[in-house]
Order: sequence, then structure tokens, then C-alpha cells
Amino acid sequence: MQTLDIITINLWQTLISLANLLILFLILKRFLYKPVINTMNARRASIDKDYSDAAQAKLAAENDKRAYEEKLAGADAQADSIIASASQVAKSRADQILDEANERARSIKVRAEADAELTKQKAQAQIKQQIVEVSSAIAEKMLERELNVNDHGDMIDSFINQMGESDGTDN
Amino acid sequence: MNKANLKFKIIDALYIAMMTVPILFGIVFNTLTKLPSEGITITGAQIYFVIPMPLQDLPITSAQINSLLVIITVLGLCLYLTHGLTEKAERKRQLLAEWIVEKTQAMVNESMGDFFKGYAPFIAAILAISALSSLLSLLGMFPPTSDINIVAGWAILVFILITYYKLKGGFLNYLKSFTEPIFVMTPLNILGEIATPVSMAFRHFGNVLSGSVIAVLIATALQGLSSIVLGWLPGVLGEIPFLQIGLPGVLSIYFDVFSGCMQAYIFAMLTMLNVSGAFPEDEYEKRRQKKLSKRSKA
Repeated sequence: MQTLDIITINLWQTLISLANLLILFLILKRFLYKPVINTMNARRASIDKDYSDAAQAKLAAENDKRAYEEKLAGADAQADSIIASASQVAKSRADQILDEANERARSIKVRAEADAELTKQKAQAQIKQQIVEVSSAIAEKMLERELNVNDHGDMIDSFINQMGESDGTDN
Repeated sequence: MNKANLKFKIIDALYIAMMTVPILFGIVFNTLTKLPSEGITITGAQIYFVIPMPLQDLPITSAQINSLLVIITVLGLCLYLTHGLTEKAERKRQLLAEWIVEKTQAMVNESMGDFFKGYAPFIAAILAISALSSLLSLLGMFPPTSDINIVAGWAILVFILITYYKLKGGFLNYLKSFTEPIFVMTPLNILGEIATPVSMAFRHFGNVLSGSVIAVLIATALQGLSSIVLGWLPGVLGEIPFLQIGLPGVLSIYFDVFSGCMQAYIFAMLTMLNVSGAFPEDEYEKRRQKKLSKRSKA
């Protein structure tokens, strides 16, 4: 076995070395750069997807929040209107009841007044009758049969009537 | 799950074997076939056998074998690093793989521009093959980069790329560029064109070779010094070159590790600058626009 001299130019060796570098370039490109770059791109894509998903979720949440707030404000207004209408109804109802009560009270009063009037008139008539009877009895006694009921009844009636009227005005 | 895990580990072990076995084989093979050297002998790569070829016979040397081993190792490394890539980067090796890819891409983007984005693997290949070839000398193997044919091959590939990008500006423009600034300069320009790959090849080759030459010189000098200073010791003790301990190791850190990596970086840098500098961007853009407008008219 021998060795080469320090500097020997050999065409084929040079070409083989050139090919070696090319082969190593292809090896690195195929077995290192391609898989690594693919992985990094996939990672970037998945990160981008995560970000867009998050942004979408945020948007949806904000929409929900806005809808919720709108609903809440609407609910307040609705509650106000419900209360307002309820109080309206209650007021009208109360007014109605009051009116009815007043009406009834008035009718009761009217009836009572009528009753009272009737009773009074009855009583007056009774009293008048009794007075007629009593005075006719007294007058019978006093005149000792000189006074005839049939003859003097009209005179006594007019007298008692005058008395009753003066009674009513006094009361 | 467990079965898949076992399978994953077996494939991992295969890839690791692919990385380490070629290197171990190279160490053993180089050590077994190494010729005993006498005194100061600085030789090129060892010839194992010769294949007859047209024009010139092709000797298969340790430089050829070792660069092949480097390629297999790098392939194993790539397969190992990219084994089990996930989007969430669950393995530490993925971080290393991504670091390599991103660093080289950033480097290429910075010094070559966006147009040469696809050059990242090529620059990484130059860095890997050059640095690893030089570092083989640490393991007692013949560094392929101290064979001029190996680096010349790379430089010629770079020269082809340079010319290819110069031609992108138009063949006539390429020819015209030799006559600038004046017609008389043409021979010098042609010389300068050829000088680029030659200087790249010789710079790399010379630096690595000079490292081994200095290492041999110092080792020999220390041996001589040792026999003078410590020769009075009785028996075998007087023949052991004690002074060789230490200093060659320190020098090896500079000549093998630092210089090897440095030359790889310089070669990659020069490749990037020369290739991107050869590309006449304005001219190319002009021609492309013209072509596009012609096509749209037709």
C-alpha cells in the first residue's frame, strides 16, 4: 500500500467529492429540512387556528353578553309596564268597588229614610187616631153625651190637624 | 402504546448506530491500515486500491472512504433528529433540529437575501461536511479536507453555481462583464473568475493541511528534545518521549477544532457571498418583466 503525494490533482476524485456535497445537500434537504419545516408549518397553522377559534369564541361571548344585556333592559321595562298596568287595574278596581259601595250606602240610606218617613207617617196617623179617640172620649165625658161624635168629628179633626202641623214644625 | 414505544426505541437505536458505527469503523480501519512513518514524513491520503478509469485512474483513498463515512453519519444524525417530530416538540432532539434549521435559514436570509431562501440546506451541507471532515483528525483519521481534490470538488460546485447565476442576467451580459471596465482587462477578469474557486479550495486545504504539518513538526521536535533532555534516564525510560505529553494536545485544540470549524464557516460564508453577489438582480428582474409582457401580448 502507498500514499498519495501531498498535492495530487485527480479529476475523478474531484468529481466524486462534488457529487458527495450534492448528495449531502439532498440528504439534508430531504431528511432534515423538509420534515422540520413541515412540522413548524403545521404548528403555525394549528396556532393560527387556535387564535382564530379563540377570537370567534370571544366574539360569540360578546354577542351573548350584548343580547343578555338587551334582554335584561327589556325585562326591566316589561316589569315596569306590568307593575304600571297592574296598579292601573287595581286602582280602577278600587274605584269601582268604592263607587259600588257608595251607591249601595246611598240606596240603603234612601231606603232607610223612606222607611223612617213611612214609620213616622204611620205613627203620626196612629197618634192622630188615638188623639181623636182620646179627645172624643174626653169630650164625651165632659159634655156628657152632648157632644156627638158624628156631629163634632170634623171640628175635632181639623183641630188635631192644626196641632200636628205645629208639632212637625217644632221638631 | 408500549409496543409502539419499543418500536420507536429500536428505530432510535438503529439511527444512533448509523451515526456512530461509521466513525468507529473509520477509526479502527484507519489505525489498522496506517503505514508506519519514519521521522518527518508528511504524505497525502492512503491508497487502498486503484480503479482504472478513462483519462486518469481513480485511486480509492482514505479521503474518499472518510468523506463517505461523514455522509453516512450526517444521514444518521438527520434521521435521528427528525425521528418522532411533533407539533408540540415533545423531544429535546426536535429543539436541536429546529435550532439548526432556523439558524441556517436566518444566516442564509441575512447574507444572501430572500431570493436564495432554498440555499439553507446547501449551506448547512457545506458546514457539516467541511467541519466534520476536518474534525475527523481528532479521532486519528485522515481528514478528507487535507486532500486538495475534495475541497476542489466543492469549490468547483460553487463556481458552477456562480456562473449559473451570472448567466441568469443573459449570456451576452455575462460575456460583456469580462470586458469591463475596459477591453484590455479581459484576461485579468477571466483570471479573477477562475481565481475564486481556486482560492477557496486552496485556502481550506492549506489551513487544514498546515495544521497536520505543524502537528507533525512539533511532535518530532518534542521527540528530539525529549531524547536530549531525558536521554540520561536508564533503560526504556530514556526512549519514551515524555515531552510529547501536553503541548500537542493543546495545539490540536487550535489546529483541529478551531481551525476546522473556522474554515468550514469561512467556506460557507464565501459561498454565500460569491453566489449571491453573482446574481444580477436588476438585470434578471428586467428580463423577466420583458418576458412576461411578451407572453401576455402573445
